[in-house]
Amino acid sequence: MFSDYKPRGGFDEYFVAANRPRSCLEPLISSLGNLGLEEISRSHSAAERLLQQVGATFRLYDSDIDGGERILPFDPLPRLITAGEWASLEAGLIQRLQAIDLFLGDVYGDQHILNDGVIPREYIETSQGWRSAMVGVVPPLQRWCHVAGLDLIRDEEGTWRVLEDNLRCPSGVAYYLENRRVMKRMFPSLFHSRTVQAIDDYPSHLLQTLQDLAPWTETPKVVVLTPGSFNSAYFEHSYLAQQMGIELVEGRDLFCHNGRVWLKSTNGSQAVDVIYRRIDDDFLDPNCFRSDSLLGVRGLMELYRQGTVAIANAPGTGVADDKLVYTYIPEIIDYYLKEEPKLQNVTTYRCSCAQDLDYVLANLDKLVVKSVSEAGGYGMLIGPHATTDELVEFSNRIQASPRNFIAQPTLYLSTVPSISHGEVYPCHVDLRPYCLRGHEPWISPGGLTRVALRRNSLVVNSSQGGGCKDTWVVQDDRPSVNV
Amino acid sequence: MLGRVAESLYWMFRNIERIENLSRFLEVSSAMDLDSGIAIEPWMPLIDACGDRELFQEVKSSFSSEEIVDFLVQSKNNPSSIRSCLLLARENARQIREVLSTEMWEHLNAMYWRLKHEGSFAGLPSLEWLVRIRQDCQLFYGIADVCFSRSLGWQFCQLGRLVERADKTARILDVKYFLLLPHGENVGGVVDQLQWIAVLKTAGGYQMFRQSRQLSITPKGVAQFLLLDRHFPRSVRFCLDGIHQALENIDPQQASSERTLGRHVGMMRARWTYTDIVEIIQYGLHESIDRLQQDLNKTHNQLEEIYFHVSQSFSL
Repeated sequence: MFSDYKPRGGFDEYFVAANRPRSCLEPLISSLGNLGLEEISRSHSAAERLLQQVGATFRLYDSDIDGGERILPFDPLPRLITAGEWASLEAGLIQRLQAIDLFLGDVYGDQHILNDGVIPREYIETSQGWRSAMVGVVPPLQRWCHVAGLDLIRDEEGTWRVLEDNLRCPSGVAYYLENRRVMKRMFPSLFHSRTVQAIDDYPSHLLQTLQDLAPWTETPKVVVLTPGSFNSAYFEHSYLAQQMGIELVEGRDLFCHNGRVWLKSTNGSQAVDVIYRRIDDDFLDPNCFRSDSLLGVRGLMELYRQGTVAIANAPGTGVADDKLVYTYIPEIIDYYLKEEPKLQNVTTYRCSCAQDLDYVLANLDKLVVKSVSEAGGYGMLIGPHATTDELVEFSNRIQASPRNFIAQPTLYLSTVPSISHGEVYPCHVDLRPYCLRGHEPWISPGGLTRVALRRNSLVVNSSQGGGCKDTWVVQDDRPSVNV
Repeated sequence: MLGRVAESLYWMFRNIERIENLSRFLEVSSAMDLDSGIAIEPWMPLIDACGDRELFQEVKSSFSSEEIVDFLVQSKNNPSSIRSCLLLARENARQIREVLSTEMWEHLNAMYWRLKHEGSFAGLPSLEWLVRIRQDCQLFYGIADVCFSRSLGWQFCQLGRLVERADKTARILDVKYFLLLPHGENVGGVVDQLQWIAVLKTAGGYQMFRQSRQLSITPKGVAQFLLLDRHFPRSVRFCLDGIHQALENIDPQQASSERTLGRHVGMMRARWTYTDIVEIIQYGLHESIDRLQQDLNKTHNQLEEIYFHVSQSFSL
């Protein structure tokens, strides 16, 4: 089934070149070949139906209860990462997140890193993720970012790099978990004779991480806070609450009284210790952030400062995933840990820096330009695909506020064979592992592989035709040789 | 438990119960429609049994069997049609997935997608289709029975299901009784066996009736069985016993005679326990059933006030 498969520009994770599989992929490629494209396509449709039935769907805004509900398109050809490779990625992620937590504690605390001039103070204080209300707050365990979903890519040489840090409310973990369940049901034979690391324990680790944040009690009451059932990610919120066996609440279900946060229940009120919030900082508390928010809990931030309730992630973590601050992560790792970064950034130009700005403006048609505070593929220019008008417009926007833009070379993300229009085709992918930090750090084996299913597209976001794949961390898959 | 979670559980079960009842109504009527020589057409009484005559006349122009069945099965304009109820039940479930067992959710969700993919149909649904819908509801109950904890949430599920069931059993009897015996004085007159068998089947109780009575079918006997039988799980009395039990399990205080809810349900239950069918018929069967419906509505309103909308009463 791979005889016509031609890897193209960039690093292909299955094949070195046409008909030359990477040695660690050979057994999987032969298992897939045994199933055959026809059988795989049949199970593929069944798998997508199953995802719909289990309710792994997102609802488009403004649609009624019988309206637009979609699954994230699912590609059945798994992506493999060997255990050895995974171990070094894991170490890199743990290092990076440890440094980021120290950085957050510092910028909202004594600000050594700013006083020492490692990062210009104005970059921090002008960041859209900066929350001055957090200055002087010490969160439980001095942990800030309890759940992170970094976006990793492999460049043309196959080197893993961090593209974005996603330290606020990363989503997608429910798809990561459900995809595996569907793969097992639809393609059990692919799991035989290889050891794919299990991922089902994510909810247990997440719950443990959240419980760790309430050292004041033996029996912490943890809740998931959602904006409500019309939010497009509601499926994930309810899924996680169900998997952890805890309550899913909206802001209107909670209230602050006598120094505690309470849950309104049919049999009186119950004190809440930890809130895993899936709403943005701005909406958490109308007394502290946006006063027009109806989603949050009035008075929550005051109790958070007093230390009677924990919030995951802590408000204000967004300052560390500002894309301009991202460019300083190697310096941040060096500053706090005195270590070399184990995971590299992507080459990035800071438009706020005169020299870089000149280069960016002169090479706009070759670069990808991103707004520093936006995610999800929004506020972005892909130079090689842009029209002249778009280039001019972006050039003006950059010059008007250079602080708000960074630029990167157009990256040819690695490719993995995927089913596209009934054929096997090399599609670009990224990877979002889910990283937890309670008492101990924990990284999900693998993560959500997002795949650009539109041919030639470099954008993996679901809003632009992206789908996902199951990702397997495996012991080296080659059959052992009998001596 | 959050008030809105309790409310969603209640409505999820109530809606499923409604679908199950409705599909059984239609199933029996479809089967009757195939028999010749039955004088009374079977469809319109179903609209009355659902209490929807007014709405029907608003949205439909003719009383043809196709229009009636369309209204009951798939009309978006009828919030109690099978499709609307399924949509609502699934939405109730979607909002509180975190408290359901995965298998309950997946079954309900699969039902929803199957109906959605089928699209709407013209003419009458096949008997097969109706049987499948009914069995799907029963499978849902079965799944809940084997994997849903008997804690607070379960009690609210029972309330939704039993309030709906008591109401529907009483209505189907009311409508048919009026239709078959338009003049009260004819009670005990000529019995159209086929029609009364159909009434029992519509309430899912034909064999159970036979077993419990082992007598010929009389209108009085049927009414006695559907309203007052202690053991038949769809009888009004059985449902009221269950409602009372669920309230006790939720909070014995609220279910006691010192509280409005407890008093109200206790009185209603006494009214349908310490009586017999002769007394009810003398008072007027229709009047009794009318009163029952008002009492059930009042029960529902009190549940809303005490449990479902509880969060509105927390203020500082």
